[in-house]
Amino acid sequence: MTFTQECVIPVERERLWDFLMEIPKVGRCVPGVETVEAVDGSAYKGSLRVQVGPIRLSLQGTITVEEQDRSAWRARMRAEANDRRVGGGIRARLSLTLAPAESGTRLMIDTDLAVLGKIGEFGQPIIRKKADTLLAEFAQNLRAALAQ
Amino acid sequence: MNAFDYRMPRTLDEALAILREYGEEARVIAGGTALVTMMRQRLVRPSCLVSLRQVQGLDRIEATNGALRLGALVTHREAETSPLIRERLPVLSETFRRVATIRIRHMATIGGALAHADPNQDPPVTLMALGARVEIRGAGGQRELPLREFLRDYYETALEPAELVTGVTVPLLPAASGAVFIKFLPRTADDYATVAVAATITLEPDGERCREARIALGSVGVTPLRGRAAEGLLSGERLSENLLHAVGEAVKGEVDPLSDHRGSAAYKREMAAVMVGQALTQAWEAAQRSVRGAR
Amino acid sequence: MTRLIRLTVNGRPHEVEVPTYRTLLDCLRYDLGLTGSKEGCGVGVCGACTVLLDGKMISSCIALAVFADGREITTVEGLAEDERLHPVQQAFVDFGGFQCGICTAGQIVAAKALLDAIPNPSDTDIREWMLGNLCRCTGYYKIIESIRAAAERSHT
Repeated sequence: MTFTQECVIPVERERLWDFLMEIPKVGRCVPGVETVEAVDGSAYKGSLRVQVGPIRLSLQGTITVEEQDRSAWRARMRAEANDRRVGGGIRARLSLTLAPAESGTRLMIDTDLAVLGKIGEFGQPIIRKKADTLLAEFAQNLRAALAQ
Repeated sequence: MNAFDYRMPRTLDEALAILREYGEEARVIAGGTALVTMMRQRLVRPSCLVSLRQVQGLDRIEATNGALRLGALVTHREAETSPLIRERLPVLSETFRRVATIRIRHMATIGGALAHADPNQDPPVTLMALGARVEIRGAGGQRELPLREFLRDYYETALEPAELVTGVTVPLLPAASGAVFIKFLPRTADDYATVAVAATITLEPDGERCREARIALGSVGVTPLRGRAAEGLLSGERLSENLLHAVGEAVKGEVDPLSDHRGSAAYKREMAAVMVGQALTQAWEAAQRSVRGAR
Repeated sequence: MTRLIRLTVNGRPHEVEVPTYRTLLDCLRYDLGLTGSKEGCGVGVCGACTVLLDGKMISSCIALAVFADGREITTVEGLAEDERLHPVQQAFVDFGGFQCGICTAGQIVAAKALLDAIPNPSDTDIREWMLGNLCRCTGYYKIIESIRAAAERSHT
């Protein structure tokens, strides 16, 4: 499934960009992220917990930064994560763009998400709803982190 | 399924104490139809199940002041076949009858259904149209919430940790009322609905104009919804094609369905309007019959 | 964790120590050797695992074995009396109510429960009661015929 989300962060583009490209730092702003570590220059591994009612997913996987274009304020990332216990996982391609906004910078995220296995059978419709809540919390955490 | 402790408290207080003891690792089990299915698919892995099957006093169906009260352990089949519910709130027994199969209805309880909070379920839709209130018990004592506040999100309720649903109170309909539940399911008869609608119409004493309408919709959001804008359009009006059309359009604006294998979001949105129209027409006729019958 | 449960199956008392995660179906099949009931879907939908719990039909694949403690279970093995088949079983034989047989135990137990509850069911009664017992072979016509015949025979 594909979806586009956006949020406005009250800092200038340069500062937001630099923060976003530090994956371990920005990773910690994603709600449910437990660990993010660099593997090498553009690859990271991490774990994320997501909860829907009584169902708790523990996703382990990798994030690869495929493209970083500061002059165009655009980045592309690929994420793959699995929950071995439930049996299933996600494959996502994310495209981030920064544009100037009245009160700071508008961050736009285009996501192409495939949900596989058990989670996919059960979770497709919910994931979309969860993505919106996740983004709202992420934006909040991002603002808080940048306010320091 | 994973290994788990299985506890069988004999009282509510015992059950609550066990829930506090295990915290997040414990889940309550009554009929188990939803929970065991999820556990078999490894979607939930509690390390303790707290069975309510030996707790007394939670399975009563009683008439109270202008309402019916169903204990949390009343099964769907008991609610479906209860002479009291059939007589006082036939729309409710009819709704329970539509759930899955008799096998499931023999085990699944109303308390479990409410705590499970799947927006595709049938009984919460009718219960919402009827203005039901959920009884909750926890360490802090007893509290009651309107159903629409109890159901928060997909699989999420207002239950705090170590709290249980103990019952649900359903107000009876006033005189000159008709109520209908429609389950639209283009697939098999034992499935969840693609769209479900429960509508109640209460007429003015003249039997012509609508005094109050309530429209609840299932499978069109992360919880069952009341179509408030649509309801507002009906107040004080006579039933007409134009009115139903306007109501249908209002409904389309109020629902937020998810696409799944029972239908795309767009399809569900369209069918929500169609089913609301059908439900209102039938509820109106039922209300008029009730007015004529009373004369 | 295991539990010692005492249940009556087809009129006979049994004492079994089961892990808490054991389904009633697995307990019947593996602990008690009653392999008549089958697992078709594992999610309570197809009806191949239908048994009676205190006379009420349930999906045994999503019931925990511990639920049966102190209760009475009826499986397809409990319907015949000595060498005489139950009228439902005999009717399924006489009227061709099964082909591959995988759903048949569940169909028969459900049909027996129907005739216990509604001795003279209409076709609508039969269809509504039996809607949760799926069959991939017969197209259901012979199943309904068999049940109708069993009902008629039980009256003569």
